[in-house]
Amino acid sequence: MADPKKARAPFAPWDRRELPGSFSVEESARRVGNYKWIEMKLFEVLGGWVATVPELDVKMRLGTHCYHHAWHAELWHKRLPELREMNQDRLTEPPNDELVAFVDAMTEPEAPESTIEKLVGVYRVLIPHKIAAYTYHLNNTSTITDAPTIRSLKFALQDEFEDWRDGEMLIQSLIETDEEVDRAVQHQARLEKLMLAAGGIAGPGSIGSSYAATEEAHA
Amino acid sequence: MRKIFPADLLARDDRFVRLTTEERFSDPRNPGSRSGGRGATKLTPARPDAPDAARTLMHGIFMGEVQALEGAGRTCWDFETGDGPDDAPFQLKLDMARQCWDEARHTEISCKLMDWMGTELGEFSESTFLYEAACNPDPVLRLTGVNRALEGLAIDVFNTMKEFGDVAGDPVLEFCEDWMLADEVTHVKMGSDWLRRLTEKDKDRRERALEFQRVVDKLFSLGGFRGEDDDSPIRLARRFRELAGFDKSEMDDLAEISRQAKQDAEAMRERLAAQAG
Repeated sequence: MADPKKARAPFAPWDRRELPGSFSVEESARRVGNYKWIEMKLFEVLGGWVATVPELDVKMRLGTHCYHHAWHAELWHKRLPELREMNQDRLTEPPNDELVAFVDAMTEPEAPESTIEKLVGVYRVLIPHKIAAYTYHLNNTSTITDAPTIRSLKFALQDEFEDWRDGEMLIQSLIETDEEVDRAVQHQARLEKLMLAAGGIAGPGSIGSSYAATEEAHA
Repeated sequence: MRKIFPADLLARDDRFVRLTTEERFSDPRNPGSRSGGRGATKLTPARPDAPDAARTLMHGIFMGEVQALEGAGRTCWDFETGDGPDDAPFQLKLDMARQCWDEARHTEISCKLMDWMGTELGEFSESTFLYEAACNPDPVLRLTGVNRALEGLAIDVFNTMKEFGDVAGDPVLEFCEDWMLADEVTHVKMGSDWLRRLTEKDKDRRERALEFQRVVDKLFSLGGFRGEDDDSPIRLARRFRELAGFDKSEMDDLAEISRQAKQDAEAMRERLAAQAG
């Protein structure tokens, strides 16, 4: 073993974490408040839908996923005071009215015949947008100063990927006719347009802007 | 989607057979039925009808898990998040979401156990009383009716089933029931904790909640089938109930409710026999 008193670099050669990040404390807190709001809306509706879907395998999956999103909401709830937001309710809000309209439309289906619409709203629209926003945050925040958020994002993303796969497979197993393909696509398109108007789960800039760098270069 | 979803609209596939509570109590095969029922004595492997009685109970457990899942899910949805009298606190909703996951697992376990024990979905009927208790518009009453009364009953049922698995030499049944029993203790404790927290400054509300629990307990005493006699089909599991926040006087009250229900059932059977004679 080497001399224990010999000086070592504080960051090992394989540790490439950097200080700079795209988000201030306030911006990170704002996004985390938006995340908590959407996770709450999601776990509440998944719980509510359990009684309304006749398919037993779907019923049980919704019950399981309900908890995943409640747990994410709890992670964000606990993170807010660490980001200097002592009144957790203040930032637990949607980024804009357009996202509220999206959630209203997504949670609207109730009839036992509308399992496809219920699942499409969550697994083909909302969860892909959550994965996108969480990934953007993960890849852009400071890997040193915002490490606690990164840890929670990784936990949440693991659930999101697995739940998305579960949900997508349920949808594929439910769709048996051309008419059902159309139903799924039409509902997805309607909700996708509402999400577009909202700009994502954290509002415009949820996944940054792909055009910003080009605009800056031409400025 | 509406708030408060009625029991008669609970979504089911074609295999399920739903009966009213009245029809169920009139079925002579059921424990607690007016004519006594085949489940009116302790479930032991020595009983000639033990396999069938165990399958009946297993199917009942499965239906209970489905409705408990649905009820916990509705509590996540039916109330606004907040601290007002008509609201459900954020942490309570998180507990209910956790319970959703637990009940979903129990439904999965029950499906597997039904296969294992040789019954299938729809062989026996479903009544929706458990879910109806989960429709109360006051979240505290919902918690006491479901988490303390019905999940408390689940503690007794799972403990009885676990012992049956042990005596019958069925390690799969014993193993599964023991795991579900651990979750039920957690759920009952949630109910006990939330009852205490939400009614700390509102004694009237606490009394209403406890009264609702007594009503549910009495209805589910089903002719005294849950009790402390040697021949009780379902034994009151005092040790596990204590872990879940029940005190001795509450358990004594429950035992008394069961004794009373048994006497009432016996008196009714005698009346029916006299009328028939």
